[in-house]
Amino acid sequence: MRIVVLHKWAPDPQEATVGADGSVDFSRAKAAVSDYDAVAIQCGRQLADAAGAALVGVSVGGEAAARPVATKSALARGLDEVVVVSDPELEEAGSARTAQAIAAAVAALGDVGLVLAGDSSVDVGARMVPAVVAGRLGWPVLADVDSVALAGGSVAVERLAPEGVQSISAALPVVIALTSEAVKTKAPGMKDVLGAGKKPVTVKSLADLGLTALSEGAVTSRAKLGGPARKGVVIDTSDPAAAAAELVDALRAAGALA
Amino acid sequence: MPFQLTDEQVLTRDSVREFAEAEIAPIAAEIDQNHRPPLESIGKLAEAGLLGMLIPEEYGGAGLDALSYAIAIEELSRVCATHGVLVEAHSSLCTWAIAHHGTEDQKRKYLPDLASGEAVGAFGLTEPNAGSDASSLATTAVRDSDEFVLNGQKIFITNGGFAKTFVIMARSTDAPGVKGISAFIVERGRPGFEILEPERKMGIRGSSTTPLAFTGCRIPAANLLGQEGAGFKIAMQILDGGRTGIAAQAVGIAQGAFEAACKYAKERVQFGRPIAALQAIQWLIADMAVDIAAGRALVYRAADLESRGEPHGQAAAMAKLFCGEMATRVTGKAIQVHGGVGYTEAYPVERAYRDAKITEIYEGTSEIQRLVIARHYLR
Ligand SMILES: Cc1cc2nc3c(=O)[nH]c(=O)nc-3n(C[C@H](O)[C@H](O)[C@H](O)COP(=O)(O)OP(=O)(O)OC[C@H]3O[C@@H](n4cnc5c(N)ncnc54)[C@H](O)[C@@H]3O)c2cc1C
Repeated sequence: MRIVVLHKWAPDPQEATVGADGSVDFSRAKAAVSDYDAVAIQCGRQLADAAGAALVGVSVGGEAAARPVATKSALARGLDEVVVVSDPELEEAGSARTAQAIAAAVAALGDVGLVLAGDSSVDVGARMVPAVVAGRLGWPVLADVDSVALAGGSVAVERLAPEGVQSISAALPVVIALTSEAVKTKAPGMKDVLGAGKKPVTVKSLADLGLTALSEGAVTSRAKLGGPARKGVVIDTSDPAAAAAELVDALRAAGALA
Repeated sequence: MPFQLTDEQVLTRDSVREFAEAEIAPIAAEIDQNHRPPLESIGKLAEAGLLGMLIPEEYGGAGLDALSYAIAIEELSRVCATHGVLVEAHSSLCTWAIAHHGTEDQKRKYLPDLASGEAVGAFGLTEPNAGSDASSLATTAVRDSDEFVLNGQKIFITNGGFAKTFVIMARSTDAPGVKGISAFIVERGRPGFEILEPERKMGIRGSSTTPLAFTGCRIPAANLLGQEGAGFKIAMQILDGGRTGIAAQAVGIAQGAFEAACKYAKERVQFGRPIAALQAIQWLIADMAVDIAAGRALVYRAADLESRGEPHGQAAAMAKLFCGEMATRVTGKAIQVHGGVGYTEAYPVERAYRDAKITEIYEGTSEIQRLVIARHYLR
């Protein structure tokens, strides 16, 4: 089995400057593997070691994403190999196009049981890519995940919720978006740095993946966020089955469910 | 001389910076205040490959080039000069010496433990009556069948309090001056080898600096490092590499203080605007930036020559001389930018200023570096 980790070569927000008008200027910020993706790589390494799986990085972007320093930075963090989809069309691409390219790269790899990602990118932070990748692949997505364990053909995850820990398991394949607290990242050691350049890197264009016209999709709604006023209904969850039934009834009554 | 760092050198800088900020920065002020050697860091440094930088891969190290090594020392020192010298003395003064002058048996016996952090290294040259004039050292190593018997005293030995593997310079023949000096590997715990009370110092206070006493200390003859009588030459070669390391330490100390000064200048408001808007402060910042860039260029030049196997002693002396004095200048200016708070323990520039001074003294004072440089041109 392969475990895929998505990683973005992104400008470091610590080095971005904010103008007087609130605009953010990344032009002088040095690029690095997105901090949250470093979490996903380290988590993936632990899972791959435990499961005897190969750990493959997938990165998508313009010319910079395929630079050796970009791929070595990710490889030094523990990946076994990296696939980069580098194409002028992917320069500054939005979540939909990025996810389309990622999904195609994952599908092309084959034998992928698990895709791990940070739950957002450091620079854009739209939190969209994992869900759209999962949608493209037709797999479930588990977001806001704080810990992951693999057992046979399924995955057990935990999410920290205000009320406690939520445990969920799902059959593979799945896409998982990890919180930045999922593991404490460790800086690559000197041997990791020197070994990074010896690991395989495959660079593909969109054409190599059979992708031609990518689109960000049509904007379907421009409604202001916030939505209708809340009704403030509180459902007692001490009996989960009864609570679920009550929720479904309430949604039906509101016309939200047919 | 344009320098384009390799990807690996860029990654070394990024990785060591990440390591230093995560693992070392949180304890840097505390170990200074308590004069406490950071023993808890040794395992972490080893795991990050930072104790095996100058140890070849086949003996468990990472086998880094001299420039990557200098970059790593700079990054450690940017956050904590004590950690910088812990690693520098271990690497340049001990592991390098064994890797370059050791027999196959010695390398197999000592280097893997030095890379894994099982042992930390130290180097003993200086004595009460032999500092700048190291060739006048008086510790003796007398051959007795298959052993050498050591007698004498060393002072100011970095890592002395916890090191397990010492490279010690001693007089083993009657030949006068430098010709009688040989290098030995001495293990901690040998009967007759005593480690005395650490110094209480102005700076690098977490660094353990101890005297060593040898009283009839017997070591196997197999622990002779290099040829008998070649010890002084070996010591000078060790210091050629070490001086680049100390220069890198000085650059790191200056860089850390510089960054703190820039940050403070942008935050501190006087006369209605950040002091960074004052030309007086801008000039200090500009001068610091130029000083650091010049020093770093000298370090890179010396390290690059060493990496390519070129003679680098004079380049290392230039780097050490300039960077030592530069670090003292820059950290002084960093305090000036901070005003009163810069003089207190609440801000890191006070520690940087105290730490910087030692880089003008150990591994050859600034005066000795000038001597080395002048000799090169006037011979
Ligand atoms: C914290 C610390 C750590 C150290 N770590 C180690 C270590 O790990 N191993 C080790 O072996 N040593 C170590 N040393 C010793 C250090 O290398 C010496 O202190 C240094 O070389 C200077 O020697 P000295 O102290 O005897 O000064 P001296 O040689 O007595 O010098 C006093 C002054 O005279 C000047 N001077 C001396 N000779 C000349 C000359 N010919 N021309 C012009 N000026 C001259 C010096 O520059 C200095 O200004 C350490 C020292 C310190 C303080």
